[in-house]
Amino acid sequence: MNGPGVWRLALPLGLAQLMFFAAPLLILLGTSLATDEHLREGSLRAWREVLGDSFHIQSVVNTLRLGALTVLATLLLAVPLALVHMAAGPRLKRAILIAAVLPLLTSVVVRTFSWIVILGREGVINSTLIATGLSATPVALLQTEPGLILALTQIEMPLMLLPLIAATARIDPSLLDASTSLGASLARTLSRVVLPLALPGLIAGSTLVFASAATAFISQSVIGGGRLNYLPALVWQQAMVVFDWPLAAAMALTLMGSVLMVVGALNLLGRGARHA
Amino acid sequence: MLDVAPTALGHRLDMDGVRVRYGQTLAVRDVTLSVAPGEILALLGPSGCGKTTLLRTVAGFIQAEAGRVLVDGAPIDRLPPGKRGVGIVFQSYALFPHMTAAQNVAYGLEARGLPKAEIIRKVEAALAAVRMEGFAARKPTALSGGQQQRVALARALAIEPAILLLDEPFAALDRSLRLDLQLEIKRIQRRFGVTCVLVTHDQDEAMSMADRMAVMRAGHVEQVGPPTELYDTPATAFVAGFVGTTNRLHGRVEARDGMGYAVRLDAGATVMVESPRGFAIGDRVMLCARPEQLTLRAAENEDPATFPARLRLSLPLGPALIHDLEAGSAEVKIQQPRQGTPPPPGPVRIAILPGAKPSLFPEGDSA
Amino acid sequence: MSLIQRRGLLAAGLALPALGARAQATQMTAAVYPGGWDEALRAVLAPRLLQQHNVTVAFDPLFAVDQIAKARAARGTPPFDVFVLDPGPRVSGMDLGLFETFDPARLPSRGVLPAGYADNVGAAVAAQVVGIAYNPQKVPKPAGWRDLFRPEYASKLGLTGFGTTFGTISLIEMAKALGGSETNMDPLFAELRRIRPSVAAVAQPAAMPGLFQQGQIDVMYTNTYTVTLLRSRGVPIAFAVPESGAAAFVTTMHIAKNSRNIAAAYQYIDAMISTPVQTALSLDPYFFVPVNKEVTPGADVPMRSISEITNFVTHDWTRINPLRAGWISRFNREMAG
Ligand SMILES: Nc1ncnc2c1ncn2[C@@H]1O[C@H](COP(=O)(O)OP(=O)(O)OP(=O)(O)O)[C@@H](O)[C@H]1O
Ligand SMILES: [Mg+2]
Repeated sequence: MNGPGVWRLALPLGLAQLMFFAAPLLILLGTSLATDEHLREGSLRAWREVLGDSFHIQSVVNTLRLGALTVLATLLLAVPLALVHMAAGPRLKRAILIAAVLPLLTSVVVRTFSWIVILGREGVINSTLIATGLSATPVALLQTEPGLILALTQIEMPLMLLPLIAATARIDPSLLDASTSLGASLARTLSRVVLPLALPGLIAGSTLVFASAATAFISQSVIGGGRLNYLPALVWQQAMVVFDWPLAAAMALTLMGSVLMVVGALNLLGRGARHA
Repeated sequence: MLDVAPTALGHRLDMDGVRVRYGQTLAVRDVTLSVAPGEILALLGPSGCGKTTLLRTVAGFIQAEAGRVLVDGAPIDRLPPGKRGVGIVFQSYALFPHMTAAQNVAYGLEARGLPKAEIIRKVEAALAAVRMEGFAARKPTALSGGQQQRVALARALAIEPAILLLDEPFAALDRSLRLDLQLEIKRIQRRFGVTCVLVTHDQDEAMSMADRMAVMRAGHVEQVGPPTELYDTPATAFVAGFVGTTNRLHGRVEARDGMGYAVRLDAGATVMVESPRGFAIGDRVMLCARPEQLTLRAAENEDPATFPARLRLSLPLGPALIHDLEAGSAEVKIQQPRQGTPPPPGPVRIAILPGAKPSLFPEGDSA
Repeated sequence: MSLIQRRGLLAAGLALPALGARAQATQMTAAVYPGGWDEALRAVLAPRLLQQHNVTVAFDPLFAVDQIAKARAARGTPPFDVFVLDPGPRVSGMDLGLFETFDPARLPSRGVLPAGYADNVGAAVAAQVVGIAYNPQKVPKPAGWRDLFRPEYASKLGLTGFGTTFGTISLIEMAKALGGSETNMDPLFAELRRIRPSVAAVAQPAAMPGLFQQGQIDVMYTNTYTVTLLRSRGVPIAFAVPESGAAAFVTTMHIAKNSRNIAAAYQYIDAMISTPVQTALSLDPYFFVPVNKEVTPGADVPMRSISEITNFVTHDWTRINPLRAGWISRFNREMAG
């Protein structure tokens, strides 16, 4: 498989990528550097407006923070679940896997709107809080960052859990036996054996969750609402309502660039860990 | 202990009425076994007979339903695996793939909180003991199967266990490598005086390595003893069949004189056999004869202690000759020293070699 | 079935003429708002068009802004033959030259429309009346736009920005009530900034009905259609005409530039304004506000005929549109936090 012609196998995908990814990206770049979408005149106005405006910079920061916090929250829940999955018998294993995949079978839109029902002022959480006397007045959850992160954590959970379980399931159970019989405590076994071996899954999951949460247009606008500004909704608004395509293009490229930067950093981290 | 001259006395291991159940299935049925200090005991038996289960119970990964495990007379049943003084080498080696050989060996020492300098010293000594000094910085994927096996052994020995458990340690290795490692392990075991339980499928391995063998069948121990004892005087037809090759010849007791029986074989001969077991005249019996306990006679031989057979094939095997024969419906194998030219295929007669002591079991006792 | 067999069957006078005719039906594509409009036009308009004019229509469900964006991106080859648009996007479409010149004379039913409802751009096909919707079980009926800024309303108010026609004209009406004008939003933004921390929600327009239904908000600005629809689903909701008057606008249909089905497109629009279709659309479960003078609007609509629309507040979108982009981003910034 190392013959000089092997690269040709990648040709169809390469061409498709060129056509459906690289070309639109170039058009996007061109649009961002023009006065309008007809690309007749060049201008840096859009970029000045994105990068020179604290509102837009704040939106970039908000978007990245949302991705990061969602990754953190999914990690916090997925890691223990993956450990339970590892220790479980075949039936519980199957149940966990089904529970992990099940959310993927309903559309993001449905999941997002269900979160309105849960987080709303008269929603499930607030009704419970008030009925149990834990709170006298409804707690603001909908249209707050914590509420949005809570919802995204559920919505994005499969993207974290599946790669993580794939990684932990590959860990030979006798490694855990070896560790305990060598006198390691559970904490040592987890930190020295399980975690390092699950790291590729953790990084893959974090990458997916980050990219997905940072660009979760529907959840961000429906659950986050108008007081929280994230780039995807701003891109949509500029492109579809205001018809300022250069600004939309510059914002879209900013979103893509900043998400790619984080994803790249995560990958470096993963590569570093593998060589450590 | 690693870098000090071996202590003469190892530790004693006792299994006392150990019973293990997985849900409905009884995997180990009241096993009582003792392993003397510094001894290697081989656990032998067909697949699924409970060898691994028994070993994992001693290691502490499985809780027994009944019975006790004792080291030097003290029960260890309540201790977690890491506190039992038991080292284990897994069939798959179970080396940590993200650690170097040295890190693998250091793992148990670090878990015990030993000072760094001491860890380094002990890791070096352990790797030297298995002749892997030069591979300390390699990850398991960069080691051959035999080298991985040695590292796994060094890792188990580094924590200076009282008892060393080996679960089919050679199963993944090819034959020639196996023999080297068998010798090596035996050498190291002798040097450290560590008490060993070795699980194996392979009777040759058990014979060459073990001081004593325990043959297991369906969760219980069928017979324990030195390899030669199991070979020469198997307690059951199952042991006779499992340890070494055996020819099973059916027949009926015709006469008895103390411990001696006249057995009329279905194949057509009447032979005299000694047996410590009691049989009545008329009992159906099975005579188990090793290939080297039988011999060929000419087809014209009219001795009533011989029976007719047809020689199908003769194969040289090193210094011996193996004859493959058909006696009625039974297949018979005979092993003889290789002298002269082998007889041509065709009708012959079979006799029991004078002085040989084949075993006699009640019919239906076999596996 | 072979042609010969079919001829034979036709000769036998069996019920196949319809099948034979359908095979030659004209095909056209129309953009339609997703959701209620899509359902209504498929159920009411499409069968009538086929029956009357032998035209089959394929619907492309798109919001107004998406229709404009898609037509624009197509650069001269229209992805559909007919637009359906609100006043704001209508003006954008005109500015961008996305429409064929419209000839009202080609609508046989044009007589049912009030004067001026069909022009050289397109024809009105439905009206929308915009005002305040509130939950009568939670809050008293608000008197006007100013009330929304009082604490008891503000804490239950759902705000939506200038992204939609109804949002834009509601906010303009608020600005006017607060001392601004159709082009001066400063007093509005000052007040929005003040109540921002306490408002119950700031949301996308599409999310508003859901938030109201879930009790997250009890007051919002919307059209009579949404009010009627939510009430028909058991949501406690009522429509309040502000003291300054409800605002009204019409939804219009336009023929896409370079459409290859112009005749069918006129037939489609004509069927849309015809009395049977307008009557069916005004009833449960569609609740459209008819533009047809012969059809009586539903109970929630504060008018007895489209002729009364002259009593309602209307807006000049040629003045609004140039300012709208600025208002949209200002709304984003004022609401951020
Ligand atoms: N985790 C388990 N759950 C249920 N039954 C088990 C489990 N592990 C083993 N068994 C059963 O217990 C019996 C003994 O298994 P064990 O693994 O001890 O056999 P073994 O002698 O080591 O076999 P092998 O030579 O194939 O390794 C078998 O019948 C097996 O099917
Ligand atoms: Mg086993």
